[in-house]
Amino acid sequence: MATFLLEVGTEELPASFVEEALAQWRDRIPTELEAAYLAPGDIRYYGTPRRLALLLTDLPEKQPDREEEAKGPPAKAAFKDGKPTKAAEGFARSKNVSVEDLAIRETDKGEFVFVQHQIPGRPAAELLQEWVPQWILGLEGKRFMRWGDGDFKFPRPIRWVVTLLDDELIPLTLENGSEKCESDRVTQAHRVLHPAPITLQHAQDYVATLRGAYVEVDVEKRQTQIKAAVETAAAGVSGTARIDADLLSEVANLVEWPTAVVGEFETEFLELPSEVAIMEMESHQRYFPVLQPGTAAQLLPYFITISNGDPQKSPLIAEGNGRVIRARLSDGKFFFDADRAVSLDTFVTKLDTVTFEERLGSMGAKVDRIEAIATLIADQLNLGETERLHLHRAAHLCKADLVTQMVGEFPELQGVMGEKYARHCGEAEPVAIAIAEHYLPRGANDHLPQTLIGQALGLADRLDTLVSIFSLGMLPTGSSDPFALRRAANAIVTVTWDANLAINLHELLDQVVNTFVDNPDLTVDRAEPLRSQLQDFFLQRVQTLLQDDLGIDYDLVNAVLGENDPTYTQRALTDLLDVRDRATYLQAIRQDGTLAKIYETVNRAARLAAQGTLDTAALDPAQVIETGRFQQASERAFYEVLQALLPQTQSAQRDRDYQQLIAGLENAAPVVSRFFDGPDSVMVMDKDPAIQQNRLNLLGLLRNHARVLADFGAVVKG
Amino acid sequence: METCGHGWGENDVHFQSVITTLHEFWSNQGCLIVQPYDTEKGAGTKSPHTFLRAIGPEPWSVAYAEPCRRPADGRYGENPNRYQHYYQYQVLIKPSPPNIQDMYLDSLRALGIKPEDHDIRFVEDNWEDAAVGAWGVGWEVWLDGMEITQFTYFQQCGGIDCRPVSIELTYGLERLTMYLQEVDAIAKIQWNDTLTYGDVHMQGEIEHSKYNFDESNPELLFTLFNLYQQEAEQLMEKGLVLPSYDYVLKCSHTFNLLDARGVISVTERTRYIRQVRGLARKVAQLYYDQREALGFPLLKESVGKAA
Repeated sequence: MATFLLEVGTEELPASFVEEALAQWRDRIPTELEAAYLAPGDIRYYGTPRRLALLLTDLPEKQPDREEEAKGPPAKAAFKDGKPTKAAEGFARSKNVSVEDLAIRETDKGEFVFVQHQIPGRPAAELLQEWVPQWILGLEGKRFMRWGDGDFKFPRPIRWVVTLLDDELIPLTLENGSEKCESDRVTQAHRVLHPAPITLQHAQDYVATLRGAYVEVDVEKRQTQIKAAVETAAAGVSGTARIDADLLSEVANLVEWPTAVVGEFETEFLELPSEVAIMEMESHQRYFPVLQPGTAAQLLPYFITISNGDPQKSPLIAEGNGRVIRARLSDGKFFFDADRAVSLDTFVTKLDTVTFEERLGSMGAKVDRIEAIATLIADQLNLGETERLHLHRAAHLCKADLVTQMVGEFPELQGVMGEKYARHCGEAEPVAIAIAEHYLPRGANDHLPQTLIGQALGLADRLDTLVSIFSLGMLPTGSSDPFALRRAANAIVTVTWDANLAINLHELLDQVVNTFVDNPDLTVDRAEPLRSQLQDFFLQRVQTLLQDDLGIDYDLVNAVLGENDPTYTQRALTDLLDVRDRATYLQAIRQDGTLAKIYETVNRAARLAAQGTLDTAALDPAQVIETGRFQQASERAFYEVLQALLPQTQSAQRDRDYQQLIAGLENAAPVVSRFFDGPDSVMVMDKDPAIQQNRLNLLGLLRNHARVLADFGAVVKG
Repeated sequence: METCGHGWGENDVHFQSVITTLHEFWSNQGCLIVQPYDTEKGAGTKSPHTFLRAIGPEPWSVAYAEPCRRPADGRYGENPNRYQHYYQYQVLIKPSPPNIQDMYLDSLRALGIKPEDHDIRFVEDNWEDAAVGAWGVGWEVWLDGMEITQFTYFQQCGGIDCRPVSIELTYGLERLTMYLQEVDAIAKIQWNDTLTYGDVHMQGEIEHSKYNFDESNPELLFTLFNLYQQEAEQLMEKGLVLPSYDYVLKCSHTFNLLDARGVISVTERTRYIRQVRGLARKVAQLYYDQREALGFPLLKESVGKAA
């Protein structure tokens, strides 16, 4: 058993690629080795900014010899009159057997020659020599580069390769134009802490030797060390470190020999919004901020950086970093002060020079549209005078911070800064909060807006984005959704549900589409197909959210959305709260067994009723049933149960209280069964067309009452 | 000023001596030392010594200090770290040598910065200038958390694949010197023994900011843009690559001035950028064709030398 080391030395790799590359190797190499009968006892993967490595231990020195059956030429071609032909001899030679070893066997394509032959196992060294270049150059990723005068593509230039099988070098050469990289037993250690190259004697020495030369090759180990060091460092200044998981894994791949270094800045910078200071530290400097223990965002005037330098030089390194963060924070302070010297209204006028989308005009034009849509929403929500004023003001100001210096510098702070600046300008509190909240939720697991003005403004902004981008025909396809329109539509539905907003999305889409058609600056000349594309898109979103977020069974989702029945689809968009309530209610009565009791009866009635002509909106038996044509008591009973159901259904329609409707249907079920199968049952398809019509109408009415809740035809089980 | 006691040697690190040190260092590495190019530009990359020379197979090694103008970055001299006029030190070597990172670290040593005493990091940072059809990948180099140099392996220039690949190093001279001199404002940089950066440039920052944001004549600038564009095009038609490129640079700077003045409407903006990009691509191709027609003379020269 042997140990094999591969190390690919590079110029500093992008931090994200180190993990990506090792993951590809994890996926690929064990399977490849196994398929080649050369499975090692263990495989370890290592990586730093300057190297990707793997160590195979307990590796067989050669493949086992194997016996395999090989198929040769057709028997007719291999033997003439019982004598082997040249074809047979050639085949035998190629498999290293004699002609006598050949056997003839019947296959579904006729008789063929077969032979059992020995495949001698090949030495691991030979195979590795063939495989390794593919392992290196088969890695994939974004933004690969060429270097020098060659054609290789890799994230950064490859500078050395180590290939050791135990203590033997496995020679191979990577040729990139005029640069030849020959594998060797020489590796590079830490750039400045151990500048001398290291000659490895044995593959097994790899991890320990590099550790002795200030390189920790184990990614996870570096992460663990960093986390512990950062926590200790923070405790050293009586604080708690804020450790963002993504930052931690990035930092681990920015260094080979981590040391936590604590630096300090002046307390005056704590006057900056903590969001700004945290962003400066985390995104720009890859520092870990230090918080007052027990607080979420109350900063202490310290930072922790993970240095790749000499631990003994930490004081000098801390001082240098301190100067950098001070310069950045004073930049931030400069932006903050400069922005606050100007009113938000002034920034609004500058939005005319910022592009939203080339064909849709400026951000200023978008704000005008948001204001108009906000008014429509205010009407639907019946907002009072003050709320209307707040919503209108917030709509006017919601994008102003985009042209402030701070957001120009830190685009991630959009909304956050707008809120602070609005407050500074003396705007009403609901206005300030709404400016920040209208961006919520920013992603799948983000907070939702808590104020009515924030919720309404978010809807208006997103509706504008959706309608405008759709108006350009730029609908999301597959994985391509550059304007995050799915997320925008999801947010509209989720916020409406979360806050129980009584909005009529169907009407709102119509109104907004019409304003686009009326707008001379835009190129929408007719409402269709824009309107139906938007409706379809929202219905898909509702469907997905019902299933994925609310956990409703797919058939019940289909039942409430009516499987393309326009009555249902329009109803769903007209009342998003109702469609949610009906779906969750159906799910609940499936769980408690009620659905099972009624769904077969209702379905049977609905199937037959389809042969009649009764309008799906009819509910009142008195208007469509001629009691004089009843021939059996079961018909009369059916009629009476429908009469009893009518007020319950009407109240369900009015109050979205479906419990009574379902109770009524539960009562009706045995009566309807009697109508079908009881001692006084009837033939629905009577010879007399008037009687037939009357009976079909009874069934139609039952179906219609059930339809107020859902299309039971879509339900697949109780 | 004081620089001693921090482990980076005893020389006085004046702004001007940083430039001379880099000149001397890169000259010793075989780079041609050239002087700044006399047309306004937003970055050292746009000097024809880089932008055009990076195109085609001919080897090229050059270093220069380049004044850069980014009109919209002006802050009337009020922001300590942000100026509309500043300097870059630019190195371009084609093909990129295998030991470029070591060479770079040696250049820091020449400046008195011992890598052993600091935390030096090469952090992924890719570069793209869509306006001139150029992109590359590389790093920003961090010295104790401060970005002091940009490293870029050019992959495309003017829409043309770079073969071989050039490596570009851009030192932020003000940043670097501020670090060496331990000052917290560009204006406080000691240019030589007696004068500061502020003495030399502050008035310019104030006046140019006023010009860029408040006083430039948009009508005139729009007219100039069109004239420069026409001139670039007519010169290209006559195969005069370098004069034409000058006018492309003038277009680009005029656009930046108009942009800073806030007079470019949304739709116009994209159109202007597209126009400049079109010109840059055309001139890049023209340069390539011209060098090819000449038989790539520098290629022959270096082959001759090697033999």
